Amino acid sequence: MHAPDRSARALRDARGGFPRRTARPGRGIALLVLMLAASSGCYVLRPSHGGGEADFDGRRELQPADIAVPPGYAVELVASGFTFPTGITFDAEGRPCVVESGYCYGEVFTVPRLLRIAGAEVQEIARGAANGPWTGVQFHDGRFLVAEGGATEGGRILSIGPDGTTTALATGLPSMGDHHVNGPAVGPDGRIYFGIGTATNSGVVGTDNIAFGWLDRHPQFHDIPGADVRLADQLFTTDDPRGTNGEEAETGAYSAFGSRVEPGQLVRGAVPCTGAVLVLAPEPPHALELVAWGLRNPFGLCFTEDGRLLVTDNGYDERGSRPVWGAPDVLWSLEPRSVAAGSPSPATWCGWPDFVAGHPIDAETFAPPGGDTPQPLFAEPPGTPPEPAALFPCHASANGLDISRNAAFGHLGEAFVALFGDQVPATGKLLSPVGFKVVRVDLATGVAEDFAVNRGDITGPASLLGNAGLERPVAVRFDPEGEMLYVVDFGVLLQDGAHAEPQRGTGALWRIRREELPGTDPVPPVALAPVALPPVTLAPVTPAPVTPAPVTPAPVTPALAEDIP
Amino acid sequence: MKPRARTAPLVAAIALLLAACGAGRRGEPLVGPMDLSDPAVASGRTVYARQCNHCHPGGEAGLGPSLNDKLLPRWLMRFQVRHGLGAMPAFPEEQVSDGKVDDLLTYVKALRATEVPDTLK
Repeated sequence: MHAPDRSARALRDARGGFPRRTARPGRGIALLVLMLAASSGCYVLRPSHGGGEADFDGRRELQPADIAVPPGYAVELVASGFTFPTGITFDAEGRPCVVESGYCYGEVFTVPRLLRIAGAEVQEIARGAANGPWTGVQFHDGRFLVAEGGATEGGRILSIGPDGTTTALATGLPSMGDHHVNGPAVGPDGRIYFGIGTATNSGVVGTDNIAFGWLDRHPQFHDIPGADVRLADQLFTTDDPRGTNGEEAETGAYSAFGSRVEPGQLVRGAVPCTGAVLVLAPEPPHALELVAWGLRNPFGLCFTEDGRLLVTDNGYDERGSRPVWGAPDVLWSLEPRSVAAGSPSPATWCGWPDFVAGHPIDAETFAPPGGDTPQPLFAEPPGTPPEPAALFPCHASANGLDISRNAAFGHLGEAFVALFGDQVPATGKLLSPVGFKVVRVDLATGVAEDFAVNRGDITGPASLLGNAGLERPVAVRFDPEGEMLYVVDFGVLLQDGAHAEPQRGTGALWRIRREELPGTDPVPPVALAPVALPPVTLAPVTPAPVTPAPVTPAPVTPALAEDIP
Repeated sequence: MKPRARTAPLVAAIALLLAACGAGRRGEPLVGPMDLSDPAVASGRTVYARQCNHCHPGGEAGLGPSLNDKLLPRWLMRFQVRHGLGAMPAFPEEQVSDGKVDDLLTYVKALRATEVPDTLK
């Protein structure tokens, strides 16, 4: 150790005490470590605090005053009483229309619905089947485009007329796993862009997928790559819940639970694949092409003024056979270039399952504390991931987004993003709740700044804070004039350990406007009357056929438009 | 050393630990827009968004502990950035240059210095 220089020592002497400790280096270093440790706390020893770990008595209060927004903005409650709302759009007359998902983690199936808020009345436009979640909606060219998640039968892109007439533009999308079909967003080219989430957390089907519920329904389901890949030498050993005598199962990447893979094994890419953004031609035969893959759960999609495709992507969780720690959610800014299946020109690969926000996954920082550092699943990466446009907090669940396009609202060109909030402890550990707010992102710098948050000493949902503000923002959309930002609030979703407990009828719709904006007198909020929906009974499911690995590249075989009774 | 002097570091450490338990909210809706007229603060904010925010969102606790109520001196924060501690990784110079670390620490201190008005809590 170098002796401190005399002038520095003299300065420290003048401040008192410190030189004595430097004369005893063992104590000095110990104190340094103690100060750092004390100020940081010990991560491993500190308890986890997730936002869903709240007591909820079943009754949600709603009070705009409990939501803080920047000076000059005001919050209004538009409607309440939704069950699992996930998306919003505006019809030809500028009326807000909301989709209720019809499914939520926790294996809660309800009825997916498209609802129109017409003055003081809520009108039901359409109902779906037990194949939710409906995750998003966009009104375009006189019809509503809806992303049907496909938890039971695979995802679909639906086109719904104002009278409720429903047509499927694409069916059988591989989205029966952890994540579903999301979006959609109509691009400047008139085509329909949408996301498909991955089946798993990080490429390996494991016992965590049993907790989601889908592995019982679809025991052969697994992830599908968007291009040919060769696998590294990795197998994951878990308990085998299929047995009764404590058997173990070995599972490889991109394989069904309990299926081994060999080092170097070729897995053929396919379109559609999982963990991808795809695009659908609006006209028959609705050709399907791949825009990007290697995403995890591309939930929110929207286009910038200059035609870039912004995509929110939920980062890895610390769960399952291949847990990943410290993975942020990501905002990607993609060129909406698409390729057909089998094209020699590869689509953009964003890094899943071997990169985290552009960084190799085998960096020590992504190892769960006390756990192993995840190793790549691919023998060679199929590309170089792009640089993220922005990062969001780990476990924040960055979901729906929109761009401010009216200077009267402010923050022109910035992206507003709904952060649904964590589902800890099912997804990992947090020292304090994360998300449960709306942020705005400066796309030039990648800086995300809070825009709408609950008041209180900590960040969290209203149910945890004991107030009447935001619960779980899941989507945002500006009105057609771009003057008001509507915020879809999913409602209360509790976490009892790994088990999700969504609370029906607790969803809400808020809006945020400039205080001084003329002609926007507050409307009295609409409360949805409880609707007697038929009980949802899942029919015995025949597992959907899954492309096994290895597979021959699937030709693009878009599902023909199919009338739905 | 007198007994009182011997226990002082421990007391200080415990005080720091307790202080680190809070969240320390500083978001624009609660405290108003941050003054970014100092180029170092503006630059540090961008570095923070890329390197720090996903574990310490807005300086609050999240995956990692709160920074907004962390009473560490600047040199000690620099030490932790460069060397890491516990679950926090080290950020080497090839990842964040010395100049960027300077800006980062200026931003973190500016964020920490922002008080939350009681009326907005």
